[in-house]
Amino acid sequence: MAGMRLLLLIASFALATVAHGADVTAGQAKAKEICQACHGLDGNSAVADYPKLGGQYPDYLAKALRDYKSGARKNPIMAGFAGALTAQDIDNLAAYYASQPAVLARQY
Amino acid sequence: MTRYFAIALLLSLPALASAQTPAQPAAPAGDPLKGREKTRMCEGCHGIEGWRTAYPEVYRVPKLGGQHEAYLASALKEYKSGARSHPSMRAIAGSLSDADIADLAAYYAQGGVKTASQ
Repeated sequence: MAGMRLLLLIASFALATVAHGADVTAGQAKAKEICQACHGLDGNSAVADYPKLGGQYPDYLAKALRDYKSGARKNPIMAGFAGALTAQDIDNLAAYYASQPAVLARQY
Repeated sequence: MTRYFAIALLLSLPALASAQTPAQPAAPAGDPLKGREKTRMCEGCHGIEGWRTAYPEVYRVPKLGGQHEAYLASALKEYKSGARSHPSMRAIAGSLSDADIADLAAYYAQGGVKTASQ
C-alpha cells in the first residue's frame, strides 16, 4: 500500500514535470471543489456574468487568478476563492481549464 | 392544510411577480454587425492567435470569441471606469461609448465570425 502510494507520487510528479510544473489532474480536483459551481467543470459556464474558461490561454487564466489573489483585480466573489489558492493551485487550475475542449473560438 | 397552502401561494404571487421584473432596465442590446465595424482597436491584439502582451506582464491576451456577452460588456465597462486596470485596455475602453461596448460584446459573443446575412 505504501509502495503503491509512493509509485503514485512518483508518477504524478513525473506527469507534473512533463506539463511544465502544472498538474492537470490536481487542477481538475481543485476545479470540482471550488470553481465548478459557477464556471462549470468543463469551463462552459451557464451564467452570463461568469466568464467561460474552457480552452482559454493558461497564462491568461493564471494571471487573472494571481490578480484576484493580490487584489489588483477586484471582485468580491473571486477574491475569496483566489485568496485561498497557492501558486501551485493557480498553475494547476489554469492548465486544467486551458486543456478543456475549447468553448471559446480559436481565432479571436 | 391545503387551504393554508393555497393562501400562502396567493400571498406570495406579487412577490414572485416582482422578483421576475429586473430592478434596472436592461442595457440596450448590442448589434453584432455594428460591433464588427468597431473592432479595429481590438484586432491588433485579440485578432492574432497566441498574441502576447508585452507590458506590464507577459501573457497571452484572452480569447474573446464565444465568451458570454454580459461578461464581455462588464469587462469593458470595468476597464473604462478604471475598476479593472490594464494600460492599453484602459485607454481603448475609455474611448468607447456604451453603445460601442454593447455592439462589441455582441460581436465577440457570437464567435467573432461573420453572420449569415453578410
